[in-house]
Amino acid sequence: MENSRPLCINAVVNLSDRTVELVETQEEAIRNFLGGRGLNVYYLYKYLKPQSDPLSPDNVLILGTGLLTGTIAPNSGRHSITCKSPESGILGDSNIGGFFGPEMRFAGFDRLIILGKADAPVYLYLEDGKIEIRDASPYWGLTCNQTERKIRYDLGSDIEVECIGPAGEKMVRFACTRSGIKNAAGRCGTGAVWGSKNLKAVVARGTRGLPVKDPQGMIEKYIELRDYLQQSRVISVLGRVGTPLLYDVSNYLGAIRTHNSQQTVFFDTLNAEEVHKYVNKMLSCYGCVVHCRHRNTLGGEGPEYTAEVLLGANIGVADTRQIIDLNNIVNDLGLDVSSTGTYIAWAIELFERGYLDEKTAGRVLRFGDYEMARELIYDIAYRRGLGDMLAEGSRLVDRFGPETADFLIAIKGLPQSDPHDVRYLKAFALGIATSSRGADHLRSRPTLEILDLPASFTEQIYGEPVDPNPTSYRSKARVVTFSETIFAVVDCLGICKFICHGFNSPRNLNYDHFRELIKLATGLEFSKEELVEGGQRVIDQERLINYQEKGITRQDDTLPARYFDEPMPSARAKGSRIDRQSFSQMLDEYYALHGWDKEGMLPPERVAELNRLKDLI
Amino acid sequence: MITKQKLVYCRPTLCSGCRICANACAVAHDGVANPRLGRIAIHQNLLERYEFQELCRHCEDAPCIDACMVGCIEEDEGTGIITNDDRCVGCWMCVMVCPYGGMRRDLAKQVAIKCDQCKDLSGPVCVDVCPNGALVYKEREDARVEPFFAGPTVA
Repeated sequence: MENSRPLCINAVVNLSDRTVELVETQEEAIRNFLGGRGLNVYYLYKYLKPQSDPLSPDNVLILGTGLLTGTIAPNSGRHSITCKSPESGILGDSNIGGFFGPEMRFAGFDRLIILGKADAPVYLYLEDGKIEIRDASPYWGLTCNQTERKIRYDLGSDIEVECIGPAGEKMVRFACTRSGIKNAAGRCGTGAVWGSKNLKAVVARGTRGLPVKDPQGMIEKYIELRDYLQQSRVISVLGRVGTPLLYDVSNYLGAIRTHNSQQTVFFDTLNAEEVHKYVNKMLSCYGCVVHCRHRNTLGGEGPEYTAEVLLGANIGVADTRQIIDLNNIVNDLGLDVSSTGTYIAWAIELFERGYLDEKTAGRVLRFGDYEMARELIYDIAYRRGLGDMLAEGSRLVDRFGPETADFLIAIKGLPQSDPHDVRYLKAFALGIATSSRGADHLRSRPTLEILDLPASFTEQIYGEPVDPNPTSYRSKARVVTFSETIFAVVDCLGICKFICHGFNSPRNLNYDHFRELIKLATGLEFSKEELVEGGQRVIDQERLINYQEKGITRQDDTLPARYFDEPMPSARAKGSRIDRQSFSQMLDEYYALHGWDKEGMLPPERVAELNRLKDLI
Repeated sequence: MITKQKLVYCRPTLCSGCRICANACAVAHDGVANPRLGRIAIHQNLLERYEFQELCRHCEDAPCIDACMVGCIEEDEGTGIITNDDRCVGCWMCVMVCPYGGMRRDLAKQVAIKCDQCKDLSGPVCVDVCPNGALVYKEREDARVEPFFAGPTVA
């Protein structure tokens, strides 16, 4: 086998006329956008016709692996799925773990760019440099788990599958893309775009090796980084109980989104030790040294912190078993956990306030009703009754009136993913308000500055002294910008955020580690400044797409009115809310750090640069 | 004479299914990443909920040695390590006879690949890289030992 292969091969698949074309990414584009999320938005900007309908054949669906995906770099199992979001109408971008991304690379493709719409259900079969568009009618209508089981039965078990469930087929605007039992590209309704293109699944089988520039050095580096990472306490706890560890802390603080954020504390039954009674084993994604994914005793995987709060506290369900059940169902049907939980809670409050009556809803909606929630989840996925209405997601604001947006916990049309009520942590609030895909904590999640670290240490990380007080508005823009940039780089590389510097821990992998890993794996040399610049370019590119598609500017970088107007009711965080004026100052600072103008628009030179890069072959 | 042979043992309950062992094996031996090209195979089925490892056990009287029609599989007298070499023609007879699934196929090169316990390195790389301690490299418990009585005991 020859040990050479272009760094990035993209397959442009046109489902309308059933053609496949291979395009190699030029090194200049790789140096500017790295890979993964970066090259995905680059290609989205290149291929997307401005202002096209997200559920029409004009939308572009991109599955792109990162620069390090599949190599032996720690936690290098991730890839990004990018399109125009049918939920928010702006950038739709979602990162997914599991095993599919590496398998796609081994099959010889670093990125799939899917255009058009098939006339009947199809799936793509990728093997060793070949792509076949195959009939998917036997799988259409099956849930995610059934689809995966049947495809594995038909094609052999040594394949990796990425698919959609009934929610995606019915084009529920917050349907997710699934791989394995729980790995999901959950946010932004990527699954609905698959459904709109009549694409049920992508299957990969790769028997080729992915060349590694310095094999011996790579193994030594991996062992060094694994030992370094496993000393971290956060990583060892994540490996033991997974993300539910955060529940206890947030609940103690009084910052759990409860009853559609009307309350902020909830029962102890969602604590990690309670959830763990239902766990058989902790599992890994590809190449992972953390293993934070639960195999639960009810036949599924999970729940994550997000699932247990948004399908638990947020809709008032307190029983651990019932929450895990809801989590398994939502995953199997292919819905986004965060959006589903937020919309159900919103619907209940609409009902309480009289916007929805029993006749329209078909039932009484109230918090804490597990049976109702369970039925409603099925109704959403299969678009029945009230579920059909809720499947339209944040667009329902047009139907119920703009004042209902005040208690929909969403920004730019995308519900908040993090179960954390951001009224207490101001940096968090700025992070979700400015995130490029709507209210999302995985774009920045700034938590380092409040960890009681020595001031000299945080100064070294952020370049300037930052205020460690979580409720202060000072210097938080700097904190958010730092996290945002490093997360953009991590997404471009295809590495998991859990081992990234700044996620929960000041240790973990930083730019220097990334540089070394990229050099060992690909031979490309980057300086730290180039990586930072690359991350910022990706954020700017996303901002430009958002401006082009929906005119996103300063007035959209805001929070749900509830976060400004209603103080938090309980526990330590009692009384916290976001002050509009201070928030506005944070935004000014944030725009200045990005080099954007007061309205949050890119400088013309940057737009010109991005347009020049767009026209590279 | 085999004495004190060391083997790689798997502990399935500790395996979280990350495939790092198989991937590192491929990187160390071939310089390319792909767990499928590793000498150790992690069979994971998330739907059926199991993780299972397949690896050469360096048998005594190994059936692969007998099955190989070009005679490219050999056992080292001193260490008991069984290796194959590049005379392999890819007939897959060894793959068929191995009761433990320890023979792997490299479909691109059309040759069988098998564990050599990284005899040219300091120790098996799969054991070095496992993040969960699911692989151990130790003396086999049923190793043949020198007979206590060297000669006939009946006077």
